[in-house]
Amino acid sequence: MDAHNFVIAERLTTPIAIVNEHGGIEWSNPAFEGMFGIDAKDWLQQAARVVGGERGWLQDFFMDGVEEHRAVDVEIEGRTFRVEHILNIGGESSRAVALWFEDVTQQRQMEQAKSDFTAQIVHDLRGPLSGIQGTLEFVLSQEGSKLDSMYSDLLQEAQRESERMMGLVNELLDFSKIEAGNLVIEKEPVRVAGVLKRAVRSLQQVASRDEVFLLSAHGRDVPQVIGSVEKMTQAIINLVSNSLKFTPKKGLISVGAQIVRNDDVPESIVITVTDSGMGIKADELEQIWKKYKQSGTKSLRGGSGTGLGLYIVKQIVEAHGGEISVASIEGIGTSMVIKLPVKKASDTGVITASRTLS
Amino acid sequence: MSEVASPPSTAAPDWTRLVADSIKQYGVWHTYLKLIEARTSYPNDLSLRGYTEIVRNTIVRDFLSHPKGLQAVPKLTADFLTNFDRFNLTAQEGYLISLIDGRLDLQKMLVLSPFDQFTTLFNLAKLQHERAITVP
Repeated sequence: MDAHNFVIAERLTTPIAIVNEHGGIEWSNPAFEGMFGIDAKDWLQQAARVVGGERGWLQDFFMDGVEEHRAVDVEIEGRTFRVEHILNIGGESSRAVALWFEDVTQQRQMEQAKSDFTAQIVHDLRGPLSGIQGTLEFVLSQEGSKLDSMYSDLLQEAQRESERMMGLVNELLDFSKIEAGNLVIEKEPVRVAGVLKRAVRSLQQVASRDEVFLLSAHGRDVPQVIGSVEKMTQAIINLVSNSLKFTPKKGLISVGAQIVRNDDVPESIVITVTDSGMGIKADELEQIWKKYKQSGTKSLRGGSGTGLGLYIVKQIVEAHGGEISVASIEGIGTSMVIKLPVKKASDTGVITASRTLS
Repeated sequence: MSEVASPPSTAAPDWTRLVADSIKQYGVWHTYLKLIEARTSYPNDLSLRGYTEIVRNTIVRDFLSHPKGLQAVPKLTADFLTNFDRFNLTAQEGYLISLIDGRLDLQKMLVLSPFDQFTTLFNLAKLQHERAITVP
């Protein structure tokens, strides 16, 4: 740290410390000493350890390829601190990092309260909404019912809107789970071909109603990946539903899978959901993954969403160790591309999608 | 199902503009073949796979835009019947050609084909493009 930076760091009211990979404090500013005192060396040394295969949070900052400005939420003496990695210091023999400690206890409590409130509201909305859907389904399924066509059309419209509302409510529920760091992904072998087949089957009726072709574009010999069948199905259904909103009559949506091999060994699976819809403007492509962001293109089927669908899909894909990309040409179509690693079936357990390491 | 090796990748071009321009100037089939070539140079470019799928999707959508839709009945062309050797068919295309009897419509071919629906229609579109079959 040069002289100017040193003087600034000394005077800052935010705690800063230079810590080596064993958890030893090599330097700290007065704000750090005032906030944590001599106890800091104990929890820092603990954070530097690997216990039962679990790395302490400090280890995250010493991993190869970790960039600066990475941050992690850490519980210290009953409070929550956002610890940010601001600088790499040291040479080959001894490595150290400069860390910035920001007390975010109140902020996280407020976020948790907001998240709990959303989850409760969503939960309370789902009950009556399920009741409405069940009733509409029952009335519409009565053969030989004497409903004239006008009432039948209106009930079908009500059914469509209730389905849409249930979709929005479910998106909000998933979003609140992601925000609270509670999106739990089971690590079980997943048959990708089965997931895609289920997603296509569940939306085939909607596609027929909208006069859109919905086709499978994959064989049965797609390798398994590790993750959650439920969440992966949800992600694919989300993408296909999105495509349905923007694909005109007589359009085509295809759901495919391809194997990427390295030296003849399956390395990853690339899943594509492609439509012949209106496409997304080039300058909006990078924005679509952000929460509450919606493309400027207007849905053909009416209504707007929460702007959370693609954000949730991205979180699910990343929680599976995958990546997602988009290709789009205005007036021709859009393709969502997901790449998932093929893993060994022995690699099972539970993953929690968390926002702590940003 | 395609399989690709993994040579080192380089910075990706502006696929959106390149693909849109190529479709306008040279049509979907030319663009599709160019994208397949490009995948050798950019094997790790996920969006390139997406653009390839958009073009494949457009090809199948155009094929399905026949007024009779899936009820259309494909037939072998005279050119195919007289110059069979000129057509360098893949195993999948050969199998689909064997199903064409002048009566079977696309819907029934999708049921009988061992390949997925999209691959079946894509191969039929390719056969039509190469003038091995016609869909009157």
